[in-house]
Amino acid sequence: MQSSLTHVRLAGIAVTVGSVVRDFQAEGLAAGQDPAQLARLAKAVGLRERRVAAPGVTALDLCADAAARLLDEAAVDATSLDAIIFVTQTPDHPQPNNASLLHAKLGLSKAAAAYDLSLGCSGWVYGLHQAAMLCGAGAARVLVCAGDTLSRVIDPADPATAPLFGDAGSAMLVEKTGEATSMHFVFGTDGTGASAIIVPTGGSRQPEGAGPSACLRMDGAAVYEFALREVPPAVAGVLKLAGWTPEATDHLVLHQANRFVVSSVARKCGFPEDKVPMNLVEQFGNQSSASIPAAMAHACADALQGSRSRLVVCGFGVGFSWGAAAFEAGPMVVAPTLTFPR
Amino acid sequence: MSPEQQLAALRADVDVLAAATPETVLGSLPNWDSLAILLVVSHFEHRHQQTITGTQVRACRTVADLLALLPHKP
Repeated sequence: MQSSLTHVRLAGIAVTVGSVVRDFQAEGLAAGQDPAQLARLAKAVGLRERRVAAPGVTALDLCADAAARLLDEAAVDATSLDAIIFVTQTPDHPQPNNASLLHAKLGLSKAAAAYDLSLGCSGWVYGLHQAAMLCGAGAARVLVCAGDTLSRVIDPADPATAPLFGDAGSAMLVEKTGEATSMHFVFGTDGTGASAIIVPTGGSRQPEGAGPSACLRMDGAAVYEFALREVPPAVAGVLKLAGWTPEATDHLVLHQANRFVVSSVARKCGFPEDKVPMNLVEQFGNQSSASIPAAMAHACADALQGSRSRLVVCGFGVGFSWGAAAFEAGPMVVAPTLTFPR
Repeated sequence: MSPEQQLAALRADVDVLAAATPETVLGSLPNWDSLAILLVVSHFEHRHQQTITGTQVRACRTVADLLALLPHKP
């Protein structure tokens, strides 16, 4: 589906990452993997290190830290928020949802709506769209948190997934504005690919699970083919809605799956690499739905804080689900990326 | 692109094929793995603007079979 919304703006972002650093080569050597093969993977895929959550820290904790810092930097009182949306696939509990828990932590008004979106790497764009729609339907200000602790659902013995994922939580403020600025969106889903990224057990279909069956399984080749097939048309779609070209766009911020995927997809989208952040993932790992704001904060902070930039973003992953957006942003709050606990 | 150029490009882009000939049997290479298959898919996408799947690559026995996936066979 396509969607264009007006009189709404992205007012700020903040990202909090896990405090534990995991080194790709050191982990692999400790697991008895071949040094030459590790070096080959590091070079080809761009695997160096990642940051995961400390024991006991959840996506809710990481997002709560990011949200509190964002509200503080933006000088926004939590009671002024009309809604809070939490994008995650690693909530604290099956029930209640993370949004309600964060509602209490931050001290939102009882008049505020609070709900979760169960989405992974495409989720930040869906969250932005939900918030923008709410602002078009009467809300003045919406907080969206997006984050996961995927390192907790990884089989440490699975070399296809174990070295990829980091843990992070993000927060963004979306506000109604008098300016006639627009946000353009393209969304899509190919549910036939759902088994390519899956945690088979732990839900209602198969409640009991242990060992590898309770961990995330991923068909890397299928995911790569999916990204090359679906992301470039989605990016082209939002560019067309916005009336922009790659040359007239300041940044293309893709979900930071890994450097190999980001570089490959960016080339097919027709964007030069200097407009596409892609080095962050070598430091933090694949941060699921927090990777787009993390890349914005890492690579575009000065531009977004100081002036107006044209952004195209695209998230893609589990589902298979994807979402792209084109919008102008800035000047806006970009809080420094910090670890939790500090 | 001539057949020789096609082979040279493939050897440059896919590390485990650096010394390959058309007769090289893919399954005999020690690192013919999921990463190598991704690199082949990426090579076809970016060098030849041709979308192929991992399934197609896995079905190939030799380097010549890979090159035969191109529209103009060597």
